[in-house]
Amino acid sequence: MTCEEFAIAGLDLGSPEQDGPLQRAAREHLRECPHCAALHENWLTLRQDLRGLGAETAEAETPSRVEMRLRQEFRRHKTVKTQRAAFVLGWGLAAAAVLTFAFTWMNWRMHRSANVADTQPNVVHAPASNTSTAPRPSTDSDSGEVLLASNNVGDFTLLPDSMPPAPEDATIVRVQMQRAALAALGLTVNEEHAGDWIQVDLLVGDDGLPQAVRLPQTVQQSTN
Amino acid sequence: MQIQAHETDDALLKRAAKGDERAFTELYRRHQAPLYRFAVRMTGSSWAAEEIVQDVFMMLVREPKKYDPDRGTLGAFLYGVTRNRIMKHLERTPRDFSLDDAGDACRESHPQLHEQMTPARWAELRERREQVRAAVMDLPSEFREAIVLCELEEMSYDEAARALDCPVGTIRSRLHRGRALLLAKLEMLRDTPKRANVGRR
Repeated sequence: MTCEEFAIAGLDLGSPEQDGPLQRAAREHLRECPHCAALHENWLTLRQDLRGLGAETAEAETPSRVEMRLRQEFRRHKTVKTQRAAFVLGWGLAAAAVLTFAFTWMNWRMHRSANVADTQPNVVHAPASNTSTAPRPSTDSDSGEVLLASNNVGDFTLLPDSMPPAPEDATIVRVQMQRAALAALGLTVNEEHAGDWIQVDLLVGDDGLPQAVRLPQTVQQSTN
Repeated sequence: MQIQAHETDDALLKRAAKGDERAFTELYRRHQAPLYRFAVRMTGSSWAAEEIVQDVFMMLVREPKKYDPDRGTLGAFLYGVTRNRIMKHLERTPRDFSLDDAGDACRESHPQLHEQMTPARWAELRERREQVRAAVMDLPSEFREAIVLCELEEMSYDEAARALDCPVGTIRSRLHRGRALLLAKLEMLRDTPKRANVGRR
């Protein structure tokens, strides 16, 4: 072991941190080198002083007032935490109650408007019925109007030589025509009013040909 | 709820986080003394050490989730927090060391020794201790903490490495440098005329 190595590792001589061979080498060097022996001597004295210094405060503990302060802080923090939890819980419950009320009210409103819609006669937004001539929303290729009509099958009169269309193929188209044009569909027309313009609902099949016809209530009243 | 002597720190901390004051008190009593001693020896001031230890445990009261059991023991975590607080304190007051304060602590901890010695011997011992204490306090903080932990606190290198969260090799090298600096400083002080020592106080 050289003096430099001793300066690094030799001061741990006798300490459990140093392994056996290193200790042996350090002891051997101590015997041979008076300079390192003096250094070691100084270090032992200093270490004794350091240990003495450590012993002065070996039993030192935090004053009891610190424990009291910490316990007070702990209690205060616990109270604050409980209050915060109660606050959050309270607001959470209030928010849940408001949401429940709002949801119930909206549900009630929707239910109510649906009931009102059901009681309205004739032209409504209605889904296709499961009957054979059920109508559905459609586009009128002639007039460009989009019309919805009642799905009341009984209102329609089948045109001569036509079959009732399947419900998924049926389209109701409202058109305006002269009453005389109904004769072209095979219907009988009162000649006195043959020149009148009337509105007619045509039930059009998927081939684009009218299969049935219906006169809206007002027109029927006026034609009669 | 009763506290079991073998109950782990983690279990106590969990209970404390749920509001169990006795669990918190037990945790405090287990750890306060070594942390306080470390702080006293590092800062040289019992007032600063008291404040630091209080801060560390306040943090544990307010933010117990800062401690992650997967990253080490609670003791090591508290040492780390204490060390950070000490470093901040030393940055704020780089030379806050009162020899009178330290002398009082010495007298309080060894009253019999004080009574048994002759006044001359006591004065000599006290002067020598004060020189050593001053030399330790003059060390750069990283060397000082290695000296404090391994020489004053008499921790093993492994324990010191865990407390400072650094490799054992770092502890060894810091100790080596710290010892060399201490030896150099104390040799210098011994050769200095008495008057200079008095002036230094």
